[in-house]
Amino acid sequence: MASTSRLDVLPRVTCPNHPDSILVEDYRAGDMICSECGLVVGDRVIDVGSEWRTFSNDKATKDPSRVGDTQNPLLSDGDLSTMIGKGTGAASFDEFGNSKYQNRRTMSSSDRAMMNAFKEITNMADRINLPRNIVDRTNNLFKQVYEQKSLKGRSNDAIASACLYIACRQEGVPRTFKEICAVSRISKKEIGRCFKLILKALETSVDLITTGDFMSRFCSNLGLPKQVQMAATHIARKAVELDLVPGRSPISVAAAAIYMASQASAEKRTQKEIGDIAGVADVTIRQSYRLIYPRAPDLFPADFKFDTPVDKLPQL
Amino acid sequence: MDADSDVALDILITNVVCVFRTRCHLNLRKIALEGANVIYKRDVGKVLMKLRKPRITATIWSSGKVICTGATSEEEAKFGARRLARSLQKLGFQVIFTDFKVVNVLAVCNMPFEIRLPEFTKNNRPHASYEPELHPAVCYRIKTLRATLQIFSTGSITVTDHVRQLSDASARENNHLLDSRFCPKTGPNVKAVASAVEQIYPFVFESRK
Repeated sequence: MASTSRLDVLPRVTCPNHPDSILVEDYRAGDMICSECGLVVGDRVIDVGSEWRTFSNDKATKDPSRVGDTQNPLLSDGDLSTMIGKGTGAASFDEFGNSKYQNRRTMSSSDRAMMNAFKEITNMADRINLPRNIVDRTNNLFKQVYEQKSLKGRSNDAIASACLYIACRQEGVPRTFKEICAVSRISKKEIGRCFKLILKALETSVDLITTGDFMSRFCSNLGLPKQVQMAATHIARKAVELDLVPGRSPISVAAAAIYMASQASAEKRTQKEIGDIAGVADVTIRQSYRLIYPRAPDLFPADFKFDTPVDKLPQL
Repeated sequence: MDADSDVALDILITNVVCVFRTRCHLNLRKIALEGANVIYKRDVGKVLMKLRKPRITATIWSSGKVICTGATSEEEAKFGARRLARSLQKLGFQVIFTDFKVVNVLAVCNMPFEIRLPEFTKNNRPHASYEPELHPAVCYRIKTLRATLQIFSTGSITVTDHVRQLSDASARENNHLLDSRFCPKTGPNVKAVASAVEQIYPFVFESRK
């Protein structure tokens, strides 16, 4: 550690003529060279060159200059462990043809549960195409929660799902509980409980969800054009500002706004379709729609091109 | 700041939960067969006994622990618990009425105005938590009183107060915020409820419509 950094105070070697000068490290030869006069001060300190020569060829599936798996230093306790690999020669098999030393010994048993959870998190995130940064954030959250041990009794999958939910929220792209439920085997209730517990354990809080967070996702899943999406965003935002929908979940309001916008345009969608995508019951959309319907003309953006005029909007 | 200076808020106590112990092992099967107004839940191992006079539902465990719910005041809870112990005694068990404790008090209050929940949550960050997907109310916890308030957008507030204190027989000053179900000896829990509502009133008032 100490020998590799140039900026450190070097306890061991200094150039005899220039005690204050910084020593440059020539890593290929393992030398420490004084930057003022060029004197080689330390010899054969550390050679970090390759152990063997590598040639680039076609079947370069594995890079011979690297040993071991990619390190995950932030998360597990470092991956410095040894496993007994499968035998290669004839001597590694005993009488019956089974291999001796069968156990590939478990590595880092203290963190096995954590590595399992990371795998599960990656699986879940894959199913809804979440980017790597959210997955990393989730892993970090899980590690923090796991180390704290305050939620030890809860199922690891539930904690993982809740961490995923929190990570999405923190990154500014929240996913609804129902969306997380869809990729996890845990019930919404349990995820909700773990979510609250984790917030308390980590002493953090998250921002409130707004209607706009979900617009782009829902609209593109429904195949609605950009105009309709912008109109729906505007409607939902206006509705919340004017407080036409007190006490309604922002998801329901967003769904109702999408319904209104799509019905006014050429691309109409039924309540059932929207309910399917948003995870909202169609009666809920109906209820929220009824609340925003009276002020429909005020909610649309000024430059919206109506395929169906406002007074012809369906009234449920 | 006081709520009652301009408008009197009715705080209705809807539920008082208490526990007591009978200090003897209870044969649940016998209670289930011979007792009146009982429901035997064998899979969980408890008997529910519903009393009519103070309308109380009691959960009886075989270890002798009894939980009474449904009472509307602390006094009523004590009457009901005693009555329950008496009926168990009549069934033949050597019941000793000990460790009576009021565990939880649930009260409902209605604000005369509606409340904007997102604004309220933003102003009261650590104490208030709002998850519209999970529950339509804001959950506000007051640590000092160990009270949890659920604030709805219509203005109704539910207060649950779980201060574990033995009910004190000494007379306390009557708090005129309490409602018509007037009890002469208001225990500490009930008073804590009133003070919780008083505490939250200014915050809620800021975020009203």
